[in-house]
Amino acid sequence: MQNKLNNKIYYEQFLLMSFICLVTFKVVMLPQYLVKTAGNQSFLIMFFLIAIEIMMLCVVFGITKNKSLLELDIPKWLKGAFAILIFSSSLLKSAVLGSEGVSYVATSLYANVSWSFVTLAIIGVCIYLAHKGGKVLGRTVQIFFWIMIAAFVFYGVFHNANLDPVNLLPLKISSDLAVAGDKCLMWFGDFTPLLFMTARPSQNHKKINLAIWIIIAVLAVLICTVGLMIQFLCIFGASGAVVGNAFLNVSSLNKIAFMIGSVDLPTVLSWLIMCVIKISLLLFAMAECAKFFFGDKALVSVVCGAIVYAIIVYGIGNLKTSYVLATSWLRYFAFFTEFLVTIAAYIAMRISDNKKQKNNASQPQMNKEEAYEKA
Amino acid sequence: MKKPKIINKKWLVIFIISLILITFSFLDEQKSIAARTIVLALSLDKIEDEYEVGVQVLKTTGEKQLQYITYFSKGDNVSDILERLSYDTGSKIALCHATVLIVSQDVLNKDNDKAMNFFFEGEVLCNNTMVVTSKQSPREVLAPTLSNGIGSGYYLGQILHNMVGDFGIIPITIKDYFKNKYHIGKCVYLPCVSLENDDGTSYLNITESYVSDGSNGVLLSENATKGLSLVLNKLSNGTLPYQYESSVGELDIVKSKGNIKIEKDSEKAKLEINATLKDNTYVPDKINEELCKEDVDERIKSYIEECYTTCKDAGLDVFYLGQRCYAYGNDLYKDPDYLDKIELELKVNIKMK
Repeated sequence: MQNKLNNKIYYEQFLLMSFICLVTFKVVMLPQYLVKTAGNQSFLIMFFLIAIEIMMLCVVFGITKNKSLLELDIPKWLKGAFAILIFSSSLLKSAVLGSEGVSYVATSLYANVSWSFVTLAIIGVCIYLAHKGGKVLGRTVQIFFWIMIAAFVFYGVFHNANLDPVNLLPLKISSDLAVAGDKCLMWFGDFTPLLFMTARPSQNHKKINLAIWIIIAVLAVLICTVGLMIQFLCIFGASGAVVGNAFLNVSSLNKIAFMIGSVDLPTVLSWLIMCVIKISLLLFAMAECAKFFFGDKALVSVVCGAIVYAIIVYGIGNLKTSYVLATSWLRYFAFFTEFLVTIAAYIAMRISDNKKQKNNASQPQMNKEEAYEKA
Repeated sequence: MKKPKIINKKWLVIFIISLILITFSFLDEQKSIAARTIVLALSLDKIEDEYEVGVQVLKTTGEKQLQYITYFSKGDNVSDILERLSYDTGSKIALCHATVLIVSQDVLNKDNDKAMNFFFEGEVLCNNTMVVTSKQSPREVLAPTLSNGIGSGYYLGQILHNMVGDFGIIPITIKDYFKNKYHIGKCVYLPCVSLENDDGTSYLNITESYVSDGSNGVLLSENATKGLSLVLNKLSNGTLPYQYESSVGELDIVKSKGNIKIEKDSEKAKLEINATLKDNTYVPDKINEELCKEDVDERIKSYIEECYTTCKDAGLDVFYLGQRCYAYGNDLYKDPDYLDKIELELKVNIKMK
């Protein structure tokens, strides 16, 4: 019961978490990987896959506004199957995306610090947040939302880059786009952790407000992913294929940078928060799945975190290995699991709802007959 | 009955995380800023098969006086040289605050970007570190202390950072350098610096540019550099001289931008310069706007034509016409002699404010 309460979040928190799920790891190494394969047109494939993700989030919202995945009235074996699939895909994603985050801190923020220290620091915090559940995660996102806003405002006001739109030309749809999309599937479809939460309206909830917030969230996702990709291409052109850490390299080009050095702290800060929340969400999904089998214990979350730590530090250890893992056949497993589980869960929920409705519809009819007989 | 809480769980977690981080920070190899040598400017040269790297650092002496010291070292690869320089300076070299990298023309034309790749792909330098080349060897430009008492390398970096959007040279960062290298033609342009000496006063001259495609390069004169700046730079600063009949003066550049278009099945590259100028004299009624515009128009055209012809003769696609052909769907860029086939059509639109 406690667990159920821990994962109840407000619609606004759901939107913020969706934003973080969709944006965080699409603005680091992904632009470089996409440009490497699809060149100047890579923003088109980013737009296409983001659009699919946003549509899928509508399905996720359809589930979570009723109940969380593990509370649905569906057979236990089906819940178990979902839990195993989500656990494995979240493990894969947290290893790949986690190592990207760790690599950024270890090499860009510091000069080649050991991965084990950085991973320990990040995973430690993430385990705590993941164990605390969706409610704490939602609250954390809400608190840090203002830092993100401040970073965006700072970026918008002080951004100063030489943008050359010719770098985006010629606009053509080629097979390279499909190849790039196929290669980078691991970075898309990051919404299954949200299935373990129950979204509900806040106390001062208004339908119009929610509609406005949804439009703002969709626009923000598009600006932060496709918009950044377009900016990245306008600034670096084809050389983007060798420019890592896209958000940092774009945001460090500001007016102040030419006066007193690179002022990228607000962007770095807000991205680090997003990174911690994103990894926490993946760990949260893993922990929820494991708790389904092993019970609601803190140790389960710690073990999940320890597994991710071991894979990142001892199994991956550098960005090249992470890329190899991310582009291996496992990407199909992670990507299709995210989509299939969500769609299957939605269908199962609808079937169970329909059954319930039928039962409810037949129930009062019998009562009427009984009442007639009695009369 | 509830057991009294000895310690709050939340604070325990925070304490454990802090303890881990503090412990590891002591074990870590990272040194504090005080134990690092902050490099202000650096140079890169290729002498025969060896690289020569120079770093200029600022040291404070006991009497709180600033002293610019330059260290040089040679070796087969840049990474080893930097290690050696760390040893020479007594602490680990930090390049993240370097304002400028001075590369020799030999590095630009004979090294195939091996050393430059080290700085770029390793993200060793800051995003806004400027790259320049020099008429003399980079060592000669980096090392001296100028007449104003400031280290030449550091002073150069400061000038370049304050020249963004200015008329004349175009400041190039290491990322711009590689962006241009990825264009068709692989042409890069850099400010070309020279150390001048006038009656015992040493100063830096940055009015010329150097263009290279990795195998051959050409030096652009001051006027040709202005032409390059008008085409490829968005200007918001600087002046343009005019002379008609007996009137001589200067016009301020309010804003200026160049735009090159090549239509799909055409061999003509249409270059349009849109400039807004302002008379900076106190008696504006005295100038004849039409004649003045005509003169400036001619000047701008001559600057650009000088730049274009000099580079074209050396086989350098300085205006990235090949890249623009590709962008606008013109297959001309596939022809190895595309530069000879494309005709540049120049149009200057001047507005007086």
